Amino acid sequence: MKYLSFFPILLLQAAIMSQAWAAPVTFNTALPISEGVFLYRQQLRWQSSADDPSGMNREMDAQVAISVLGYGINSKLAVFGVVPWVDKSLEMTVNGNAIERDNRGMGDAKVFARYTFWQDDAQGRTFRAAAFGGLTAPTGKDDETDRFGRLPPSLQNGSGTWNGFGGVVATWQSMNFEIDGEISYEENREANNFEAGDESRLNFSWQRWYWPSDSSRDAGFLYGVEFNWLHRGQNKVGGQKEANSGGDTLWLAPTLQYVTQRYILEMALQKPVVQDLNGTALENDLIAITSVRFIF
Amino acid sequence: MKLIRVLFLPLLMATSGAWAQGPSYQVGVNGLSCPFCAYGIEKQIHKLDGVKQVKVDIGKGQVVISMDDDRTLEEAQVEAAVKRSGFSLRSFEQSQERVEK
Repeated sequence: MKYLSFFPILLLQAAIMSQAWAAPVTFNTALPISEGVFLYRQQLRWQSSADDPSGMNREMDAQVAISVLGYGINSKLAVFGVVPWVDKSLEMTVNGNAIERDNRGMGDAKVFARYTFWQDDAQGRTFRAAAFGGLTAPTGKDDETDRFGRLPPSLQNGSGTWNGFGGVVATWQSMNFEIDGEISYEENREANNFEAGDESRLNFSWQRWYWPSDSSRDAGFLYGVEFNWLHRGQNKVGGQKEANSGGDTLWLAPTLQYVTQRYILEMALQKPVVQDLNGTALENDLIAITSVRFIF
Repeated sequence: MKLIRVLFLPLLMATSGAWAQGPSYQVGVNGLSCPFCAYGIEKQIHKLDGVKQVKVDIGKGQVVISMDDDRTLEEAQVEAAVKRSGFSLRSFEQSQERVEK
């Protein structure tokens, strides 16, 4: 079953970098979080990967529930905790027989801080730039088994390692538009003789406001498009690089949000427009995202 | 006639918003461009002593603050609250406008 480890690690890294405050659905923003204010976001993701170049008819589906709690220590510094719950299944054909393997449970949690180092405000608009950094903790189990033996890393809920990540995000927002850009890097470490490839990300979001009421503007719609580029390095097994792992993916996601002073409802559909994956790595098909955010 | 005034004046005072509230302030805030971000500023200003009502107007980028009777605000207090919420103070002036309940 070694070939199962060729499957890309799908979900968590892509999902949990999206944060609790307003703006992009799929990644960070640099918008302010006030001192003493809590944010809670509950996000649900459905992901399907069924484009299998290996001929084994692999199909991987996953549902991820991501809970994010943030707190503003002061107007510049905010801290966040992210806990994912994952339900994954893999179907494939081996020697003419269809098999299915699945797993569910808590994934690896993340804690991180964001510090706003640049702020330029004017009436009805703002520009912010912030740096963020944190740790992924091995809270998800990484040694689950089924009747076929130990599950491959892509089906484990956790990585078994402490990983570090960091990046920079910038946001320009006015009463008409919002533009966000983010660059980030995560270093993945080795556990159980397996090391997932490091990940580099470049994200961009363009969104436009629609205000049902021109007077007070205490609620509005944000609609737009987000681009997410991900480069994943090759996995290593026993210190040796896996040929059928890693590569580049560019996602395109139309997004829609309903934004009020106390909550945000949002949805997005992420579709890969460019996939340049190594070897027979399983290609991604579609990710559907829906979530709600509260502030208190 | 004097008796009627004595009897009804307290009633008029009690039902009039002008008698029931202290001064109001109109605060201009820079950087305010999203409803979701406005909650923080409302919360910070509500923490100030004597604040009765707060109304954030995203479109105008301003906050109207109504005070309890006999209570006033200093510009420095409001500026600090706006800063704690992650925004910048643009203007501060006493206002005739009151926050509607």
